[in-house]
Amino acid sequence: MSVPVLSVRDLQVEFVTRRGTLRALDGVSFDIAKGEILGVVGESGAGKSVTGSALIGLIDPPGRIAGGEVLLHGERIDNLDAESLRRLRGKKIGMIFQDPLTSLNPLYRVSEQLIQTIRTHTTLSERAARERAIGLLNEVGIPAAERRIDSYPHEFSGGMRQRVVIALALCAEPDFVIADEPTTALDVSVQAQIIALLKRLCAERGMAAMLVTHDMGVIAETADRVGVMYAGRVVEIGPVGDVIKEPKHPYAKGLMGAIPSLEAEIDRLTQIPGSMPRLSAIPAGCAFNPRCVDVFDRCRSERPGLIGVGDNHKAACHLHDGKGRA
Amino acid sequence: MARKSTAFTEITDLRRLFDVSKPFLNRVIERQPKQFLKAVDGVSFDIKKGETFALVGESGSGKSTVARMVVGLLPVTSGEVVIDGISMTKVADHAQRQKMRRRMQMIFQDPYASLNPRWRVSRIIAEPIRAFGLMTDNAAIEARVGELLGLVGLHPADGVKFPHEFSGGQRQRIAIARTLAANAEFIVCDEPTSALDVSVQAQILNLMRDLQKEFGLTYLFISHNLAVVRHMATRIGVMYLGRLVEIADSKTLFSNPRHPYTRMLLDAVPDIGMTGRQRTPVAGEIPNPINPPSGCTFHPRCPLATARCKAEAPKMIDGVACHAVNPN
Repeated sequence: MSVPVLSVRDLQVEFVTRRGTLRALDGVSFDIAKGEILGVVGESGAGKSVTGSALIGLIDPPGRIAGGEVLLHGERIDNLDAESLRRLRGKKIGMIFQDPLTSLNPLYRVSEQLIQTIRTHTTLSERAARERAIGLLNEVGIPAAERRIDSYPHEFSGGMRQRVVIALALCAEPDFVIADEPTTALDVSVQAQIIALLKRLCAERGMAAMLVTHDMGVIAETADRVGVMYAGRVVEIGPVGDVIKEPKHPYAKGLMGAIPSLEAEIDRLTQIPGSMPRLSAIPAGCAFNPRCVDVFDRCRSERPGLIGVGDNHKAACHLHDGKGRA
Repeated sequence: MARKSTAFTEITDLRRLFDVSKPFLNRVIERQPKQFLKAVDGVSFDIKKGETFALVGESGSGKSTVARMVVGLLPVTSGEVVIDGISMTKVADHAQRQKMRRRMQMIFQDPYASLNPRWRVSRIIAEPIRAFGLMTDNAAIEARVGELLGLVGLHPADGVKFPHEFSGGQRQRIAIARTLAANAEFIVCDEPTSALDVSVQAQILNLMRDLQKEFGLTYLFISHNLAVVRHMATRIGVMYLGRLVEIADSKTLFSNPRHPYTRMLLDAVPDIGMTGRQRTPVAGEIPNPINPPSGCTFHPRCPLATARCKAEAPKMIDGVACHAVNPN
């Protein structure tokens, strides 16, 4: 098997506060292969965005990576100094954020932002960079790119702006893209266009991507594999069809049942009692145990690891380790 | 006051213009006329007692403006809102309208902005009771507030807390308790769950359905999330650029969408049941409402558009406003 584009091993992120150290990520591990889209879902506070930021060293103090490794093409990047990380960002790893208005500088024309980014990462001349920028805008589906490239960000609609942001992320032809809620601020018809665009780019360029979102529908259509996060841990990870249709972890089950579907008529949505624990009060053992319907003694004391529950499908739950409820 | 129909709420030809002109001096210097944005352009529908009518559409389609006009937060430009036989828009019915106000309440999208952060929860929930003079005895009010908190799944002792001590879902429960405090019969919900996580959204939607069964509430439900709307609504109106393009029973709309925009919208929604689905993404975006396309406003994006669509706005016939569906 070839080396995955990105590998995360037992990643831990801590935030040191006056009231003690909060563990935002606790032992997160996953791999993303070439051309693969890994979806990361979870509710607010599950640690999805922190994972994205940690991968590219954008955790601001008082947060810090307390342990674990991040490997890009088999080489560690979590221990690089700030300058090398800065060079890595944009060149090897692209970022697409939720709000397209705040990720573009409103005072610069789109052309200036694109050309500057391209020239930072490559040796192209100004003119070649401009050509490349126009090509990128065409590729992300902006009509009349030659004309629109000299517009300011506010002259574009939300969907078009997000396309510009995607073009910006692609400037240096990164091997890996982190998309953090790329369609949350957009309407459904535009969202569908952006999703299709992301899928096409990953397929055509063999780019790996991590798609962070709370919208299961978006994941279902876009991702190849999906990781479900809860309280800073990955509780289930596997092929998207398996996780959605046959979730194994009780939290994942509850989450899937809680989503109203267009296809099936459900009389009552599944309710998960309670809410996500605060980072300062994560329960011992399995973090989900106080809300879990299948909880038994071992869940309260022993933290479950990820256990294989199917083809390439793992869940962190004592129910599936074969020892039963004893 | 005798009306022939059985509808609880009747909305007839509702219109709302917003003045988006430049300042007076600029208009004079640049010789420009006043400019108006037609946020809502001739919307009519009715809601029966005890049903949930949902309005769906993308941002800028005018759903929230309709909601605000229905509850009276925004004056109408023209058209009529009649609730239980009382016109909310005609001047003559003023006294009755005041009584009607109690019977209709609103739940807002952002539970962080819709509760006064400096009031304790018990005071927030008691406000409608005091404002409408439903009870005067403090002990009785306190008991009622406790009862309401229990109804929405909170603890009666939570009344002494402030809103910031609650999560988004719990705050939305407080907002629901407040609407129930006024003994409201008709509740307008403007995106009540779009700020919430899915598991919390499920809790709130279940609660809203339980309360509807228990108290026979009538909901006007505004959302852009079609799956949520399908779960909640009895009937659905689809809006595009300030106009209703299709009204149908929830089941009919999802099994047999007729207007091209409805079909496009349904096709665009990512759904968890559709893993690996291939589809043709929709082209284009909602046009600028200040200068909407002529005729049928959907024609630039419509695959079935003809010359007639560009010239003539289609009328709502049999639940659909489309020349292709109603060819005569």
